[in-house]
Amino acid sequence: MADVDSSKSLSGLLNGIAQKVYHNNPEITEELLKNELYPDLSQEEFHALHEKMKGLLKSIASADMDQAQLEAFLTAQTRKQGSGGVSGEQAAALSKFWKSQRARVRESLLGQSRWEPALRGLSWRVDLQTSASRGEPVNTPVAVVEVELGRTGEESEFVCMEFDEAKVNQVLKKMAEIQQSIDSIVQRS
Amino acid sequence: MADRTSFLGARIPAEVEIMAKHLKDLDKELFRKILKVVVNAVEGKDCRGTMKSLADNATLSEEQLSYIVAGIYRLLKEALRLPTSSLKQEVFKEDLRELRISEEFITDFASVVFGNRRAALEAAATQQGPRLPTIEDCRWRVDVAISTSSLARALQPSILMQLKLTDGSSHRLEVPVSKFQELRYNVALILKEMNDLEKRSVLKIQD
Repeated sequence: MADVDSSKSLSGLLNGIAQKVYHNNPEITEELLKNELYPDLSQEEFHALHEKMKGLLKSIASADMDQAQLEAFLTAQTRKQGSGGVSGEQAAALSKFWKSQRARVRESLLGQSRWEPALRGLSWRVDLQTSASRGEPVNTPVAVVEVELGRTGEESEFVCMEFDEAKVNQVLKKMAEIQQSIDSIVQRS
Repeated sequence: MADRTSFLGARIPAEVEIMAKHLKDLDKELFRKILKVVVNAVEGKDCRGTMKSLADNATLSEEQLSYIVAGIYRLLKEALRLPTSSLKQEVFKEDLRELRISEEFITDFASVVFGNRRAALEAAATQQGPRLPTIEDCRWRVDVAISTSSLARALQPSILMQLKLTDGSSHRLEVPVSKFQELRYNVALILKEMNDLEKRSVLKIQD
């Protein structure tokens, strides 16, 4: 039973560190993790464990290890002697954590090196103009598009635009070009 | 015909009524000159210069000229608002006759409202209507991040787009590939919706 508890605490700790380091969740602090997961450990003992796990996660994340690399890395770590070494249980917890969280952590790390506002969302509607204060209504559909832009950790900015059919077609063509350009890179690598 | 309301409305706008009075003794050539300037104004062109030279050279008093200009402007605006399908040329002429405008001038008015200029005038009206900015120019670049301060081997393509809008503003945004797929899908969907809408004759609004 103790084993189940301790592996639960470990995975809680890893998730807590990920929240704090990779997902900018300010509510998670080292103290909170200690009180919730390891109330019996002394401050120093917990701090050492916390730092060790943080360091290991950082190595795994910055190399964006795949399954084979992770296994090799963890095997090497478990062979280490002394306090720097990783126990079998810790290795298992890390492996399990990484399997489920790799994509999210990678996305967040990529976001850390993105400085331009990124596209967050898009909403649109298609209108038909029926009458106007000046001139004859054109009676052709108009697309109203709102894009949401924002830098990591900042509030979103909204840009509203309208398009007639020709414009939408033009934009779509441009996007096909972009797609082609991406495909040519992705296939090569 | 008697119960039909004039295209100018049940109550003729004051500008138009006053103009009609002042047109009585107006020289035909001068009328054409004024009409031309007003048409330019309706098209949204800058007419300050031409208007000034008209005022300086005309035999009219400034007051008379302003009455005529205001009336012509209002009359054209009202006539151009209505689609040609609901305001027929004959009806238009009829309504102007009611205002005791001379036949020569009526022909000139009709040639503006129903002549070759119509398309240009409508295009100008659409331009002047309330509208959101649209994309004027879109530039893009595909980058592949090789390595970053937090990721040793990123190898992740991303798109940097720069949108220049017709209101003069410019927006630069980075689009991750996954978001780009979403964006492209939505733009394609918009186009499909617009095509479908045009096919659906139910929504063709006619009067």
